[in-house]
Amino acid sequence: MRLYVAAQVSIVCGHGASVGCPMPDGKSVESYVSKRDPIEQGASSDGGSDLDANFKRWETETLAPALESAPERKEKFRTQALKWDVNRLYSPRDLEAIDFDFNRDVGFPGEFPYTRGTDPNGYRSRLWTMAQVTGFGTGEDWATRADYMLEQGLDGLIIEYDLPTTNGLDSDHPLAAGEVGRAGVAIDSLEDMERTLSFDFSKLKHLTSVCNGPQPVNLAMIIAAIEKKGIDPASFTLQMPNAILIEYTCVGRYIYPPEHGLRVATDVIEYTIRNQPHWVPIAVVSAQLYAARANPVQELAFGFSIAMEYLDSVLKRGLTIDEVAPYFSFITGVDMDFFEAIGKLRAYRKVWARLLTERYGAKGEDSLRLKLMSSPGTMSMTLQQPLNNISRLSMQMLSCVLGGGGQTMTSPLHDEAHALPSEEAIAVGAAIQNIVAHESGTADTIDPLAGSYYVESMTRRIEDAVMAEIEKIDAMGGALQAIKTGYFQRELAREQFDRNKEIEDGSRKLVGVNHLAKDDEERQIELFALDPGSEQRQIERLEALRERRDNTKVDAALGRVRAAAETDENLMPSVLEAVKVLATQGEICDVLREVFGVYTPDSLTSGV
Amino acid sequence: MSSSSPSDRPRTIRVLLAKLGLDAHTIGVTVIAKSLRDAGMEVIYSGLKQTPEMVVATAIQEDVDVVGISSLSAAHMNHLPRVIELLKAEGVGDKLIIAGGVIPKEDGETLKAQGVAEVFTMGTETATIVRYIEDWWATR
Amino acid sequence: MGNALADKVLAGHVPSAARVIRLLEDGDAEGRAALAALYPHSGKAQIIGVTGPPGAGKSTLVDRLISAFRKRDKRVGVIAIDPTSPFSGGAILGDRVRMQSHAADSGVFIRSMATRGQLGGLARATDDATVVLDAMGFDVIVIETVGVGQDEVDVIKLVHSTAVVCLPGTGDEVQAIKAGLMEAADVFVLNKADLPGADEAESHLQTLLHLEMNDREWQRRLVRTVAEKGEGIAELCDALVAHDTYLRRSDEFALRSAARARHSLFERLRDLALEQAVDAITQSEDLKQVLDAVTRREIDPYLGAAQLWHALKK
Repeated sequence: MRLYVAAQVSIVCGHGASVGCPMPDGKSVESYVSKRDPIEQGASSDGGSDLDANFKRWETETLAPALESAPERKEKFRTQALKWDVNRLYSPRDLEAIDFDFNRDVGFPGEFPYTRGTDPNGYRSRLWTMAQVTGFGTGEDWATRADYMLEQGLDGLIIEYDLPTTNGLDSDHPLAAGEVGRAGVAIDSLEDMERTLSFDFSKLKHLTSVCNGPQPVNLAMIIAAIEKKGIDPASFTLQMPNAILIEYTCVGRYIYPPEHGLRVATDVIEYTIRNQPHWVPIAVVSAQLYAARANPVQELAFGFSIAMEYLDSVLKRGLTIDEVAPYFSFITGVDMDFFEAIGKLRAYRKVWARLLTERYGAKGEDSLRLKLMSSPGTMSMTLQQPLNNISRLSMQMLSCVLGGGGQTMTSPLHDEAHALPSEEAIAVGAAIQNIVAHESGTADTIDPLAGSYYVESMTRRIEDAVMAEIEKIDAMGGALQAIKTGYFQRELAREQFDRNKEIEDGSRKLVGVNHLAKDDEERQIELFALDPGSEQRQIERLEALRERRDNTKVDAALGRVRAAAETDENLMPSVLEAVKVLATQGEICDVLREVFGVYTPDSLTSGV
Repeated sequence: MSSSSPSDRPRTIRVLLAKLGLDAHTIGVTVIAKSLRDAGMEVIYSGLKQTPEMVVATAIQEDVDVVGISSLSAAHMNHLPRVIELLKAEGVGDKLIIAGGVIPKEDGETLKAQGVAEVFTMGTETATIVRYIEDWWATR
Repeated sequence: MGNALADKVLAGHVPSAARVIRLLEDGDAEGRAALAALYPHSGKAQIIGVTGPPGAGKSTLVDRLISAFRKRDKRVGVIAIDPTSPFSGGAILGDRVRMQSHAADSGVFIRSMATRGQLGGLARATDDATVVLDAMGFDVIVIETVGVGQDEVDVIKLVHSTAVVCLPGTGDEVQAIKAGLMEAADVFVLNKADLPGADEAESHLQTLLHLEMNDREWQRRLVRTVAEKGEGIAELCDALVAHDTYLRRSDEFALRSAARARHSLFERLRDLALEQAVDAITQSEDLKQVLDAVTRREIDPYLGAAQLWHALKK
C-alpha cells in the first residue's frame, strides 16, 4: 500500500516529494521519478507497449516480493455498492480499454456532455446553495423556525409534512392517530398553510415543499396562501418533488393506482409550466432509491426511467421537450465509497444529457443541463459513536464537491438517528459545508479528478451500465410497467437483504457497528415529544372549520373536482377553487380516491 | 421424503409481521421476513396501513405463534398497546409479541410492562431475533 | 363422544378453527381427531379454485370476488398458497396483503398456506383446511394456487369450480391448453383486460372454447375483468354462482364431490402406505443389501423395489 501511494503521489505531482519511502536502488527520489514522467510517456507513440512491459516488470520484480512479505488484507477488493472489482492500480491502459477520448468523454464544463459540470465556471463564481431540512411541528412553530433560519443566512427552506398529510388524510382520520404534526407540519386546510407560510418571504430564495400523492392540493394551497398575502410568486422558487413514482417504488406514501398517480403528477407539472413558470414542479428524488439501498447503477437507471415516464406524460399535453425538460430537477445522495460517488455524479450529468439528445432530440442548453441537488447520504451514518458521522459526512461532502454535486447541497445532522435537531448539530452540519468550501481548496478548480485513470474508468463504466439497465427497463415497457410488475421493488428488496447480511457477517466493515465496536455503548433514542394536546387541538380546529365554512360551496367545488378527475381536464383549477372555499386535504383526496381507486401493492410489488 | 411419523415432524413456527398506521418504512420488515424464512419459519406479511383490529384478526386466522410489529414512525404508543389489548380480549394473549424499529427506551419499558415480550431496536442483528424466537419456542 | 376442538369449530370459534388447520398442517394426531369429527359436517360449500401464472392478478381478483360474494350475503373462506423455500423450509406468505380490507370481516376467513414440499400448486394440507372451513359453515371456499406455472392441475381434482386466469398478450391461453386446463376449467378469466392485446386474447380463447363445445349443459365461458378497477367482477361472481347452481341441480355436484372424496382417499392411502412402507423398509436388514446391489448396478431400481416389497409382505 505504501509503495503504491508513494509512486502515485510522485507521478501525479511530477516532483520528488519525499514520502518516506525507500527507493530500491538507493538513488534519489528525483532521479527515480524523472524516468517515469507520465507526460513524457503519454506523448510517445509507443508508450503503450512500453507500459505493458513496465507493468509486467513491476509486477514480477517489485510487487511480487512485496506481496510475499505482506499479503493483501482482503481476498477481493470491491466497490461498496456495485461490488465491482477494485484494481490495485489504474493506468493509461485502462483509458485505452475504454477508448477514452477527452473531447468526447470529458469535454468542458457547461458543455455537452457536462461530465465536468453544468456551470461553465464550476464553483469559482458561485458556491452551491447550502441548505438544511427545516424541522417539524405545527404551522406556527414552523414559521417561527423558518424566520430564525433565514436570519442565520440560509436562503433555502424545506417544508416536510406529517404522514396523514402526505397520505392525503385529514388529522381526524383513524389512521392518523399519533401521527398528526409528528413527521412534519399538519395541513388539513388552506388556513393551516397560511399559518405555515406566515414568515418573512423577503429573505427566501428557495422553498421545497415535500408532498407527493396530494401534490395538487398542496400546490393549490400554496398558491392561494401567497395570493392572500400579496406575495409575488416570481419572487422565490417553489420546488415540488411531486415524486409519486418513487413513492410506489420504495417510500410508500402513494394513494391512487400508478397510472392515476402519474396523471395527477402530470397535471401539476403542466399547470406549473403554463401558469407558474418560475417554479420547479418535479424533482426526481433518486436519493430515495439510494436510501432504499439502490446501488448507483440502479439509482440512475430507475431514476431516469421514472423521469422519462414523466417527460413522456407531459409531452402528451402538447408541450415540446425544450419547454418541459428545464423544469426537471433531481435530488441525489452519496455514500461512503468515495470513487463510486464521484463516478456516479459525473455519470449522472452525462446520462441526462445523452438521454435528452438521443431520445428526445432536445436542443436547448437549459434542457440538457442537469439540475441537481445532492447531499451526503444518511444510510452510512451509524447510531453508535455518532461523532464518527461527522467524519463520514465530511468525506461525502468532499466527494460531492469533487464529483460536482450540483447547485444545492444539503447537510444531514450527524446525530439524526437518535437525537432531536439541536443548534449544535445544525451548526456542525453547516460548518462541514463551509470547511469543504473554504478550507480544502477543492471548490477552487473544476472537476480536478478528470483524467484520473480510475475516475474516468469508473465514470464510463457506470454510464454504460446505466444505459444498459435503462434499455432493460424499456423492454419491460418503461418505469410504470416496472413498478406495476414489481421489478424495481424486488431489485431493491434484494439489495436491502444483501447489504444487511454483509454487515451482519462482517464482510462489510462499519466502524462502531461491527468493527471497533464498543460493547458497553448505550445509545438513547430521543424522539420528538409531541405535545399530546396538539393533535387534539388540530382535530378541534378541523371540526370547527367544517362547521363555519359554507358547506354548499364546498360540495359544489368537490363536485367539480370529481368532474375533472373523470375526464382529461387538468385537476388544478378545480382543486384551487376547492381549497379556497376551505375544502380539506382529506376531502379532496377522497374524491380522487372514489374516481381513481386506491392502490394496494401485492406480494410481488411490495418486494417482501 | 422423511420417514418420520407425522407427530415426529418438527412444527413450523408461524410469524405475522405487520406495520401499523401510516408508517411506510419497509426495509426492516423485508429484511427480517427473509431472515425468518431462511431460518425455516413461515412468515405472514400483512402489508401496510393495518389497524390493530386487522392485525389481531389476521393473527388469529393464521394461528401465528409470533406477532412482530415494526414501527419506525413513532406512533407505536398509539397502536401497539391496542393490539395487545385486543389479543388478550380474544383469548390469544399467549402469542409472542415483539416489536422492532425506532423505539426509545422508556417507550420500550412501557410496552414490555403491557405485554410486549421484547423490543428490538434498529440495528439489532437478524440472527438475534431468530434466536430469540427459537429459544422462546423451545421453552414454551 | 365429541371432540372439544371440533365442537368449537362447529360453533364458529375462529381461533379453534385456525388451530385445527395448523395441527393438520403439522400432521398432528390431535388435528386428525378433530378432522374426523368435522368431516361429516363438510360437503356443503362450493369450493372454487383460482389458478393462473404469476402477475395475472389472482390476489386482486380474489379480493374483489370476496367483496362480490359478501354482497350476495355469502360467507367466504380463502386459502392462499405460496411456495415453501426448498432450501430452508421456510416461506414468505404475502398473498393476503391484497385482501386485507376483509381482515376484520367476521364473514371472511383468510388462511395463508405454504406448500411444504408439495408440488402442483397446492399445499399439503389444503384439502384438510377446506374440510374445516366447510364444516364451519362457509358458503364459498376460494383456493388461490401458488401460480408459478401453468401446470397447476392438481387444484382441479380438489374443487367444484375452477377459474383459470389469463393475461392478454402473454400466450397464456396456449399454455393453458398444454396444461390440460382447457378441458377441466369451468370459467376462464381474462384479467387486466384493459391492456393491449385483450381483444385478440379474447377471440383466441373464444375460438378454443368453441372447439371444446359439447352437448353438456354447462358451457365453459370467458369473463373479461379488470380486477384492479372492479370491472367484470360481478359477471365473474355470477358465472361462479351459476356454475354452482348448475352443479347442484344436475348430478354434477354429487359426481364431483364423489371424485373429490375418491381423490382424497387415495391421496391419504398413498401417503399412509408410503410412510409405513418406507418406515418398515428403512428398518429392515434387506435395505442395505438391495441398496448396495443397485448402487453396484447389479440390479436395477425396479427389481430392487420389488424385492424389498416382497420381503416386506412376508
